[in-house]
This record gives sequence, structure tokens and C-alpha cells, in this order.
Amino acid sequence: MPKVCLITSNLTRFNKVWTQVLRHLGIDYTLCVATSGGVGATIQTPQGGLAANSTDLRNYFRLFDAVILCDHALTLSETAVINYSVYWLSWNAPEDPPFLFFNPHFSTAITESAYNSNFPSDFPIVRPNPSDLAGTLYAADGGSPSAFTPLFTGAAAARGACVLFLAENIRAHVMTVCNAHGASRTANVVPYYWRLNPTQHSTLANTNYTHRVARNGRAGEILAVPAPPTNPEDTETYPSDCVVAYRYRNIFWLPHTIRSFFDTMNLHSWYTLGNWTPMLFWLLYGLQLAGVRPRYRLPVQMETDHPIESGANTPPFNFSYRQQMEALLAKHDYMREFARRTGTAIIHGVRVGGRHRTTSASFHWQMMYGTGVPADARAVAQQINQLLVAGHREGTTPCGVHDHTAGNFQGGYWLGDVRAGFRRHSGMRYGAPANVPISRGRCCVAPHVLPAGVAPPNALTVQVGDAEMVEWDHTMSGTGDTFDLPLGNIHAARIVIESEIEEMLALGFPDGHCAGHKYTNTAANASGGECYWQALKEFGFRGVRSASACNEPHRTKRVVSNRLWHGFHLITDAGFDLAHPSAGYSRGLYYPDSPSEGDGVRHWQLDHGNDISANWTTSAVAAWRAYRRVVCQGIGNWLFTTAVVLGGFYIHLGTQLMIISLSDPNARFNGWSVQNVIGHPHYNHAVELLENMDAVVRLLSDVLYWGTITDVMDHRERVLEG
Amino acid sequence: MPVRFLKNASELADVSWESPLPVAVTNAKPVPADTLLIATTNLFPTGERDLLGSTGAPELPTLDACGQYRKLIWFYFREGAADTTYTILARVTDHNGAPLGAGWLTIASGTLPGGANSWNRLEIPDTGDAYYDQYRILVNRTGGSGYYLISKIVGVR
Repeated sequence: MPKVCLITSNLTRFNKVWTQVLRHLGIDYTLCVATSGGVGATIQTPQGGLAANSTDLRNYFRLFDAVILCDHALTLSETAVINYSVYWLSWNAPEDPPFLFFNPHFSTAITESAYNSNFPSDFPIVRPNPSDLAGTLYAADGGSPSAFTPLFTGAAAARGACVLFLAENIRAHVMTVCNAHGASRTANVVPYYWRLNPTQHSTLANTNYTHRVARNGRAGEILAVPAPPTNPEDTETYPSDCVVAYRYRNIFWLPHTIRSFFDTMNLHSWYTLGNWTPMLFWLLYGLQLAGVRPRYRLPVQMETDHPIESGANTPPFNFSYRQQMEALLAKHDYMREFARRTGTAIIHGVRVGGRHRTTSASFHWQMMYGTGVPADARAVAQQINQLLVAGHREGTTPCGVHDHTAGNFQGGYWLGDVRAGFRRHSGMRYGAPANVPISRGRCCVAPHVLPAGVAPPNALTVQVGDAEMVEWDHTMSGTGDTFDLPLGNIHAARIVIESEIEEMLALGFPDGHCAGHKYTNTAANASGGECYWQALKEFGFRGVRSASACNEPHRTKRVVSNRLWHGFHLITDAGFDLAHPSAGYSRGLYYPDSPSEGDGVRHWQLDHGNDISANWTTSAVAAWRAYRRVVCQGIGNWLFTTAVVLGGFYIHLGTQLMIISLSDPNARFNGWSVQNVIGHPHYNHAVELLENMDAVVRLLSDVLYWGTITDVMDHRERVLEG
Repeated sequence: MPVRFLKNASELADVSWESPLPVAVTNAKPVPADTLLIATTNLFPTGERDLLGSTGAPELPTLDACGQYRKLIWFYFREGAADTTYTILARVTDHNGAPLGAGWLTIASGTLPGGANSWNRLEIPDTGDAYYDQYRILVNRTGGSGYYLISKIVGVR
């Protein structure tokens, strides 16, 4: 098993994401604590405390596949963060391991003479000077400050970057902050890229060097630079001496990856979104560069909710139902082709309930058969359904039930105490006219203490997890199809789930659980309680996507922290739409007249220093800035979902329906050169996320692969404690 | 040919559902305790919140499915000394995880002990046994400067 050495001088603020990711990759690690950030620090190892410049420490490091520095500065004015590591910059023999520095602090503010005298004289990156920022660094991503600090970016407030990886010749959108500095440590902080010393680099690049990580056989190698623009509109350019990642002999100088913060990621909900680490790419890339080949690669997969759905056909877009369905058809055609090409399976949560419980045109069944929908639109919806059924059968677009009509209000399992006027299906085991229990009735949860004669002969035995109950005197459904349904019991769960599956069968799907994946994404991420999990298991499900507060907004319950209930997976939800649900649908990357949280920039807090909103109509580069930030946030959150919480990353296709070009719906973003129907930049969320993640997967071929939700659940069982 | 084994030192028994082969449990945990939560609570804002930061959902538990635990041990490290109150709420649920009723039973409350950069430990409940299914653990910085509270909760069966 590969093994790395992690170094930190602040165990309190050591972020558990480091070890969580390594554990999920099957990489062993030893965590060593430096007694300070100064050059005189002792490194506390299992072999004892070793001086930072000692031969003993050097020999100890040679036991590892790589050494990783975990600490970073919050401002370039700091004087001692990882000063002890200066000696390691000269440990360049073939026997020495590669060293991974992320957002390293090497500014000229460091006053320790031992640091400055030992810093390699041929190091090719200019040391940042907090008193001469413009002369030693390049302000990144438009140069505007983040209101907080970009180093603490969580699930929102990303900084944008498109990076060109030179050896791989791949452009990828990955959040990139080499160093950061502001007047305060945590307010108005600007991200920066590094400035190269071209003369020093030229010398290194022409010096032969032998080490297993020197893939070009030279002492110096530029690994990555800001990618040059692809459109003249994009004027955010950087000089040729600007770099974002560099290999100096066996030393990798890489951007920020995981912030110093005391947290663990074993329990996930919207309350901890601020603790996400969306710059994880650089750790994964660093491990790959260092040749630390993980025992396990991580499966990447994406899900959508509501594969057929319509939004408002009102201003500013005025899309007809038919136009919406045609745009959706194009998206699904693309996604099916993408899944075929990469080997992934894109899960779709079919918005069931329309057959029996609602006539809303936004539901799958109603779009296909509802009389309120024009016939020409229904015909296209039926084409989409056929495409989904075919994809379900071939494994590219597995579909499962996703019911917003089961509970009250926005739906989901067990939302509300009683679902008034619940209408069930007909036939099968729990449909009309079968007279079945709809609530618990009288019961005994410990049959071994139930006195004889209390329960009548027709009492039922019900199993929920470990609990075995004897029940009698149930409230029954009668033979009709409509009744008030108490939701918090296994009888209700069985009726609800069977009715959903019945609708899927009527739609032409062979099952309601994504075929062999035996999974679905629950509506509103509300997976209900134990009775629903038990019932889902009875119907063949292996897992569902679920919020931590699993009956939200009822909010009386949380799933357990390992998200396994008697072998049933409760997969962490990670949504990434370009608008908050309250806004109805997305107005695009940015739209000046958008309601609050109605576009990507507003929803994900990406308007740093108002440098998008203030320039949108006057400077074309603002659209490119918005694009970079949205995509970087999305890819970062997706990588976090993949590597840390082993969850389900998802979008709503319909929410992003209006903002695309009708004439070329699957076109890539190209600023104002390709516009949507209201004359703003066209943006296809599904295409951009999948294609940009594909670039990352191709870059990180040792670490990631396009997989399926089955691979995710298999891996959870492999690496999580049951 | 049935498989037989020596049961209770003297009885020769057929292997069946009722009399399975005896096994020696390996990798059993040496203590009947589980880590239930590790969380960092941002106490820079004031106002009551649970250890996971929830403020607007008074019915939402901090810990669920705890019915098997006799006692919870709350270890915490507080970075600041600012006055902070804590309230521990508990309740039990039915077989679907639904609380038997709305609201909570307050089983402990007071001023959070400890100064800046101090390690601390609280037992829940401080006397007697617990066996509640759900807990909502609230903290509220009522004065001074903001700080982070880092907690670990262990359930003891």
C-alpha cells in the first residue's frame, strides 16, 4: 500500500479531509507534528523527535512515497508557517521522496536568517513580497478581493480559473489560488498566481536531473499555467512568466488545496457547506505527480432530478412547452452519448406522481399525457421518455422513482403527518381495490412480552430494522383509491413506493430503481425514516440519496453519520443548480434583472467585489469570469462529493432549461458569441459540467474514473466502517 | 450427512438455524463505546445553535438513533473563554424515527465550563442512564468574543 507522510504544526487546526481523502484512496499515512513553524522546529515522528535539518529525518522521509506539507499562511506578512521545510528543498537525491507543497508560504516577510540563507539560490519562482505585490505576483481571477478569504472557500464563493496543464495538454477549470493576501487575514483577500524567474527556469529546464518524478528528465518543469483565452472577448490574460504549478527537482510547488480547519466530514448536511474543500483537485493532482498510485480509484458520477419537466413559459424567456421539450431532448441525447462514451451511468430521478396525484404540467406523466399540455409538446416529451427507457435498458440513463407528491407541500417521503386525499394506484399488492392497512394500529414492539390472547389471530408481524412488531386493529384503506394517508409507518411506505413503481412500469421502464443499481434519488432528498428505508429494501432498493435531515422540512430526524442503515445506503446529497428553488428557474450565469438567487453568480456568491454585476453590460470579460467561477465551483463541489463524502452530485435539467440557445442547445459556452433567446450568453449546465469534469478525469487518470452509483456504494462499503 | 458439533461441552448437536456453529468474535471493539459526532461549531455569531450549526429548525436533532446508549460523553475543546450557555434536549421516537410528540425534554443546561484553549468533558446525563433516541445539543455565546468550539461525542452502551 502506498504511504505518505503528512506534516503539520497545528494539530488543532489540522483538517481531517486530508486523512479522509487518503483513506478513501487506500493510501496509508503517517501524521507528523512540527513543534513550530520556525526553522528550529522538531518534527515529531514515530521514531522520535527529529530536527528539521537532520540526516535522521531525511532518512525517515525516505520510507515514504511522498511528503506533504499541510499548513498554509493566511497572509503573506506571516513570518513563520513552514520555515522548517526550507532544508527539504535541497533534499533532491533520487532516494529522497517527492515533497508536495500546497500554497506554500515562502514570502520575503520571513525574517529567519536560516530560512533565507538556505532557500535555494536557483529556485525559479519569485518569492512573494507583501510590500511589492505587483512586482512579485500576478493578481488572479480579475484581481478583485474575496469578501472573506479565497483560501476558506467552501461550497460557495469560488474563484475562477482555467488552467492549461502543459505535459498533458489539457485545459481544465479548477479553482486555483497559489497564494493569497489582503490587509486582513480573513477579509478582502486577493488570490494570486506566481511569477516565474525565466532565467532561473531556463537553467533548470536545461539541466539533466534524475528522479522518478522528473518525467522530462530535467531539474525544472512548468506544470501548469493560466490557460490562454479562446475568445478575444476574454481579456483576462496573464504574461508568459505567470505560472500556477511548478516542479523544482523533486519539489512540487502547487496551489492551495485544503484549508487549515478543524473539522471532520463524517456528517454532512447543508449546515456544513462552509467546511467543504472544493480545491481538492490539487491534492489529487499532486499525489499523481508524485507517483503515489492509490490502491483505489474513485468513481465519478452525476445524477439529475426531473428528466422531463417544464418551467414557466413567461418573460423573460417565453419558451413554449414544445421548445422546452425540444431543448430537453437535445440535452438527454447528449448525456446518453456522453455516458456511452465514458462508461458512466447518469442517474435520473423521474418525477412520478403525475399519473395519480397531480395534474401539474411540470410532472413527467403529465407532460406526456396531460390534456393541459399541447399535443406537439407531448409528442416530444414522449420521445424523451423513449430515449430514457432505451438508456435505462442499456445502462446509460438509469431511471428511478422521485416522488414530490407523496408527502405534503413539495413532497418527498414522510413530509407531514398525514397526506390528505392521497390517491393510490390500482392493482398489484397495495393498489385498489386491495383493502390494506394504512397505519400502524395497535402494536407491540416486543412480542416476547406480549401476553397470550391480547393480539387477535389475524395480527400481522412487521419487521423494521432490528425491531419486530406485532400489529392489529389497523386503519384500513378500504377498496377505494383515495384516502387520507398517515405517512409515518411502513404500510404507508409500501403503498407510496409501490404506486411509484407502478407508474414507472406504466411509463415503460422495467423497474423503479435504476435497473441493477437498485438506487434512486429521493424527492427533496427526503428519504423518510426507518419505515421507508425498510420498505425500499423490500422493493429491492440498495440505497437512496438523502439529506442529513432526511424528512426536511419536517425536520424531526437525521440520518446516522456513516449513512448506512442495516446495509442500506443513504447517499449524501450535493446539488448544484444555477438558482435557488425559490427563484423558480435559472436566469443563467448572470442576469441583471434576476430575482435574488435566480442566477448562478447570485446563488453561489460569485460576484467578488461586484466585478461581474458592475461590468456585465459594458465588458464582455465579465461573462467569462462568471463562467469560470460557476464551473470551478461546480467541479470543486463535485470533486469534494466524489472524494470526501462519497455522495451524489446532481442537477435539475429543467431549472437550467431556459438559458440555452434554441438553435444550438448543446453548444459550448462562448461568451456573447453564442447567445440565448434574450441575447445573453448561452450556457448549457449539463454539457459544461460533464465536459469540464471529463477533462479533470482525464487529467487524474490514476485517481478518478467515470463510474456509476453502484461503484460509489461498493466503495462506501469498502472504506467505511459499517 | 449433517454437520455436528459439541454443544455445551457434552451435547452432540446438528448444525441448524436453532443451533448454529459457535464462533469466536474477532476484531471486537474492546470497549462498548462509539464515536457519534465530531463537529466544529462556529460561535462567532451569537444566538442559540446546535453543535452542527442549525438555528432555524428547533425540531432537528443533533444526534439520532441513540437509543442503545446508556450515556453520552461530550468532550470539547473551546478556543475562547467567552460566556456560553449550553442546553441538552432529548426525546424518544417510534419505529419510524418519529418523535412521540413535539418539543423536547431538557435534561441539562447551564454555563459551558472551561476557559480559553481548555479541554473539557460533560456526561449526558450527569446522573442515571439516558437511552433517549434523539438529542439536540445547543450552545449560545452570550458575551465576549467569538470562537470555535470543537466537540466529540462518544456513546457508551
